[in-house]
Amino acid sequence: MKKNQDQLFAQLLCNDRIGEPDNAIEDRLMYSFLLKNSSSKVKQNSFASFFNWLFSAQSLGLKTGLVSLVLFFSVINNQLNIDAGTITTTDTLFSKRVFVADSTSFIQTLDSIRTDSLN
Amino acid sequence: MIFRRKNKVYTDSELMRQIVLGDQAAFGELYLRYKSRMYYYFYRMLGNSADLANDFLQELFMKLIEKPESYNPAYSFQTWLYSVANNQCKNEYRRREVRKEYQSAEALEHKLDYLNDSQVEPEQLVEKVFQTLDQLGEEHRSAFLLRYREGFSIREIAEILELPEGTVKSRLFNAKKILAEKLNYLKDEVEF
Repeated sequence: MKKNQDQLFAQLLCNDRIGEPDNAIEDRLMYSFLLKNSSSKVKQNSFASFFNWLFSAQSLGLKTGLVSLVLFFSVINNQLNIDAGTITTTDTLFSKRVFVADSTSFIQTLDSIRTDSLN
Repeated sequence: MIFRRKNKVYTDSELMRQIVLGDQAAFGELYLRYKSRMYYYFYRMLGNSADLANDFLQELFMKLIEKPESYNPAYSFQTWLYSVANNQCKNEYRRREVRKEYQSAEALEHKLDYLNDSQVEPEQLVEKVFQTLDQLGEEHRSAFLLRYREGFSIREIAEILELPEGTVKSRLFNAKKILAEKLNYLKDEVEF
């Protein structure tokens, strides 16, 4: 029975046996894979990926939002602090001075002798 | 083989995804699937040398270990793997600086007289087919192997060899024509 040309070539090549590759190759490849894996695991502890993200152009909106939030809270926090300008001394008493140009509103502390001696 | 999977059958692309995540069992599975086929390809493409075929097989899978992310899962894994293998062969030809010119059927006439022997065994016939393809050049050999050994479509071969489909068709046609003309054995068997 005559065969189609393509079928004959396919049959010819598919029946061609040349043997198997060296088994040592598989062992070497597995070892290389293991080495590569062990070296990449160390990198998981590094901050490189975080810094890459931080200094890249990715998620700019998120980064801007975070920075704005930090700035907003730092400003609000400063304004809410009524003790701004207070200098705390080493003992429990403290000297409170208001840094304004008008010296009439200068508040003297109770323990003025001690605080003066510190200046 | 301790790394082999037993239950679920994964596709090549799924295995590649797992390899990217560092799954050694997935790599073992993929190697098992392709080792014989790639070995055969290298063996026939690199002048029937078992040593070279082993070296190239190892190099191919080393590339896969080092840069598994270079495979794009949107495309066929087989096509990608053969295209990497084919590039390795091309580099080897370049390295050897073997630049065989294509030879026309007329030029081959005198060189291929040995093919007229009608009393050949199938094993000898395959060797003679490859000797003929050697005369034609590696481009014809790779197209012929990919088509008739691996069963790739013309489009897939064109993708692997980075050639237009028309060129692949014409290479296959030329290879078949010359083989059929030269092999008296085939003339008795083949319908044209």
